[in-house]
Amino acid sequence: MEDRTSSPECTKYEEFFNEFLPKDNDTPLVSVESAVHRVDAISKASGELKYVADIKFPDMIYARMIRAEIPRGTIKKIHVPSLPKGYYFITEKDIPEGGKNCLNMIASDWKCFAAGVVRFRGETIGLLCGPNREKLLDLEKQIKIEYIEETPAVTIQEGLDCKGGAFVNDNNIHCHLKLEMGENVDDIFEKAPHVFEDTIETGFQEHVYLETNGIIIRKEGEKYVLYASAQCPFYIRKSIYTLLNIPIEDVVVRQISTGGAFGGKEHFPDVLAGPLLVAEHKIGKPIKLIFQREEDIENSVKRHPSLIKFKTATDENGNILAMDSKVYYNVGGYLASSYVVLQRGCFHIMGCYKFPSARTEGFGVATNCYPSCAFRGFGAPQAIFAIETHMCHLAKHFGIDPLEYKRKYLIKQGDTTITNGKIVEEVQCPKMIEQLTEASDYYTKSKEYGYGSYKGIGISFYNHGGAFTGNGESAIIKGRVRLTKNSNGTVDIFCGQTEMGQGINTALRKIAAVTLGLPMSKVNFNAPDTGVVPDSGPTAASRSTMVPGFLVEKAAKEMKERWDNEESFSVEKQYEHPEGYPWDQSTFQGYAYLGYGWGCSIVEVEIDKRTTEVQIKGIWSSHDVGNCIDKRIVYGQVNGGIAQGIGWASTELLQNIGGKFKETSFSDYIVPTSMDLPEQKVFFANSPYEWGPYGAKGMGELVFNGVGAAYIDAVSRAINRDISKIPVPSEYVTDHVLHGVSDCLKEIK
Amino acid sequence: MGVNCYVPQTLEEALKIRSEKDCIILAGGSDLMVGAFRATGVTPYFASDVMIIRSLKELQGISRNNKGQIEIKACTTSREIASNPLVPWVLRQAAGKMGAIGLRNSATIGGNIANASPKGDMPGPLYLLDAIVVVESLARGEREIPISEFILKLKTVAIEKDEIITKVLIPYDDTSFDAFFYHKIGRRHANAISKLTLTSAIKFSRRGSVTDFRLATTACGVKTNRSREVESLLIGHKKSEIPSLIDSVTTAFDALLTPRAMPEYRKESTKKMIEDFLLKVSHNDEQKFYE
Repeated sequence: MEDRTSSPECTKYEEFFNEFLPKDNDTPLVSVESAVHRVDAISKASGELKYVADIKFPDMIYARMIRAEIPRGTIKKIHVPSLPKGYYFITEKDIPEGGKNCLNMIASDWKCFAAGVVRFRGETIGLLCGPNREKLLDLEKQIKIEYIEETPAVTIQEGLDCKGGAFVNDNNIHCHLKLEMGENVDDIFEKAPHVFEDTIETGFQEHVYLETNGIIIRKEGEKYVLYASAQCPFYIRKSIYTLLNIPIEDVVVRQISTGGAFGGKEHFPDVLAGPLLVAEHKIGKPIKLIFQREEDIENSVKRHPSLIKFKTATDENGNILAMDSKVYYNVGGYLASSYVVLQRGCFHIMGCYKFPSARTEGFGVATNCYPSCAFRGFGAPQAIFAIETHMCHLAKHFGIDPLEYKRKYLIKQGDTTITNGKIVEEVQCPKMIEQLTEASDYYTKSKEYGYGSYKGIGISFYNHGGAFTGNGESAIIKGRVRLTKNSNGTVDIFCGQTEMGQGINTALRKIAAVTLGLPMSKVNFNAPDTGVVPDSGPTAASRSTMVPGFLVEKAAKEMKERWDNEESFSVEKQYEHPEGYPWDQSTFQGYAYLGYGWGCSIVEVEIDKRTTEVQIKGIWSSHDVGNCIDKRIVYGQVNGGIAQGIGWASTELLQNIGGKFKETSFSDYIVPTSMDLPEQKVFFANSPYEWGPYGAKGMGELVFNGVGAAYIDAVSRAINRDISKIPVPSEYVTDHVLHGVSDCLKEIK
Repeated sequence: MGVNCYVPQTLEEALKIRSEKDCIILAGGSDLMVGAFRATGVTPYFASDVMIIRSLKELQGISRNNKGQIEIKACTTSREIASNPLVPWVLRQAAGKMGAIGLRNSATIGGNIANASPKGDMPGPLYLLDAIVVVESLARGEREIPISEFILKLKTVAIEKDEIITKVLIPYDDTSFDAFFYHKIGRRHANAISKLTLTSAIKFSRRGSVTDFRLATTACGVKTNRSREVESLLIGHKKSEIPSLIDSVTTAFDALLTPRAMPEYRKESTKKMIEDFLLKVSHNDEQKFYE
């Protein structure tokens, strides 16, 4: 029973994929539409591919991370048992003179080793190293740490209230920004007939990469070489070289096959790499550090929980006159990358809409939680969930269908954004509405199901600004890519982008192969080594195809012109920001993003009246990704992003109780399975991007950003209860049915 | 330091080891190995010696014995139970919804009973069907114990130190009842631990009055909840009278439930599932009814 291979849904997918199934990768490619074999598919499916855990060096020893067991306080004393020969306990005391005890993420406040003060449970105290893993486990149990405990602040509200006393600045605010467009919103609030308040909250989310974090370090000649499961090899190098006060080039990072990341291996590998560097410096042997699954969930970065407060002025008919918002993100103990996450949140707070006037203020709140960091969407999903849900609440209050209410405000090409820049491309949301309402029969169902019938349909709009904000790609990243033609007619791509399952290795080779008219098999691209490839910027921010991919196309174009005359040569390209789209990073004014991905999702649910279990009956989505460099890869991203987005809104409850994550195994932390999701209907409405390869723009995060709001819209309508906080596992749906309210807006005027 | 691991080749050998050594019995290992895991590259921890009985031929298979009972040997896996038509439907449901495919290929019925978890998948249907657990020892031979007496409390069963669970006997099959109910609520639709499971069966006489009615729920207290007293509220009544009796059944059944976490959710869902099933049964004219 339950043999899914014979289900009709799978057959349909097979038909779809057959249409794009290539014969081989040895035929010259003529267009990006041509189907290719994913270059890593066979080695991954067959198990041949080696991950960090599979690698062993002669004389290699192992490490276990010793961490703070309390969320807040000071370390009084560390009792270390007498260590047998060959065993070491490495702490901040082992950082050599001139070295700095910090990890240079975006901010440099995260300590490599907690020195005296503990800001969160799980903070690194030391690294226990030695040859035998059983012995290490025994020794770990004998390490006793005495603390002077202090009262932790765990929630955003506790952080704002400075529970236990402020520990960052005098107000626990790590970072802050404010944006305004249109007229002064306070004046409008004064004159408006209606003013509503609404508070929306989202929770932690765990990345659930299939492979946990792991790094091996060893000295090769004068260089410290790290073999890392990581998204951004150059980030690791920058983050840790100051620990030993050595030239940055003396740290070499080689990416090893990475089994998923989702942002969780953007800055976080630094937390393993830093102590390993100090340990290798002291011990002089190769060292392997790999986290166990529960250890990884309990002691790694998460998606920022958010608390977003709206204040919205409308006229008598519900037309929005002005919107003010306060955006609070739970940053945790250290700032690290969170200011940029908060910025992206504020830049996306108006979602796909334009209101006459708007203001937003963002606050990164210090708490004694494990620091939050990058996670697919990078701050945008929280803001988009909030605005979408707020719009649904307003629509319901005024008795207007949410789709009809939202579509009035859809932003258009040339419209002003919250940073007082303009939307550059044609916005395809109207086309998406046409595609999806027809495919899903939205209008009929919306009317028929209404509110409280235990059947519901919901809709959301969302976008994601591609690549780094504003001119960051040219001003900060300065990404470079190199192509080399070899005398045997093959081409090598030198670029720092990392394959982590998303398909970039195939996509970049395909761009080069199509441009050069070569078969895929003639184009090589190896996992990056910082000692070999130019820094093309991080594999993050939905930028890899959009920006480095564009550089690959540019370099390949030049290479094609010189191809017949030169036997072997290289072409290197650096990113240049297009003229006429100014951005000021100090005031956050101007064109925040030149190319957005846009999306619309419709979700239909049916709720079991007995048990409130939610059955998802249909998911229809349409996205503007510019162009699909590889249709199957893009389909994979859409399916995965939507599944992850549904999980964030529904089952993936992750509670932090007193500074400690409660759900730390896969039987507690519930990610949806294929049995929880129907076959997805996938559409595209593409606006090609002028500065992307073959028109392609970022899409890896876009496909996560909005579906959670559509799901919650559907569930809210089904039970006739406003939902303001996610996730909502099915047992919480019962709670809403029994104790919830059908209109949560607070009318203050 | 270290423990011994025995891998007997016959049941007799296993019983002999069991009579001489204080050892943990490992069948599928799907619970024990999770608990014993320490770290990658480190030997799992067991407090005492371990005996692996997974491959004993005498403990495999499903058959009907000469008393007409369905006999499921202790090391039969969930996968086999889920796909064997001899097995009553409610138990097939439970076995088929346990964990993921990999786990179902290794987990055994004997292990699921011995583990005595309040959230275990198989005890619910086994209670419902008055299953009998058969244990065996060299000294005293076979002993038959009703499941409700075998599972004592959380993680504790009525087994002696020298005994091994060898089989489970089920005195009913799908012809024994006219309507069946099984619903497991997990936190997702597959690969989930039960948050609440309700199972039920009803038998009518030819004239349409209830001759047997059973109701069991798991994950609503430390043991599976079943009460002959509550069930008797329907027995002898006509099908058409069921709707008027639902309230008394749900109220009496509710009193048995002692859920620790989210009591409102568990009690409310149990009540509504019973209501819904009984209403459907009372309006059903088909010969067999599975819900």
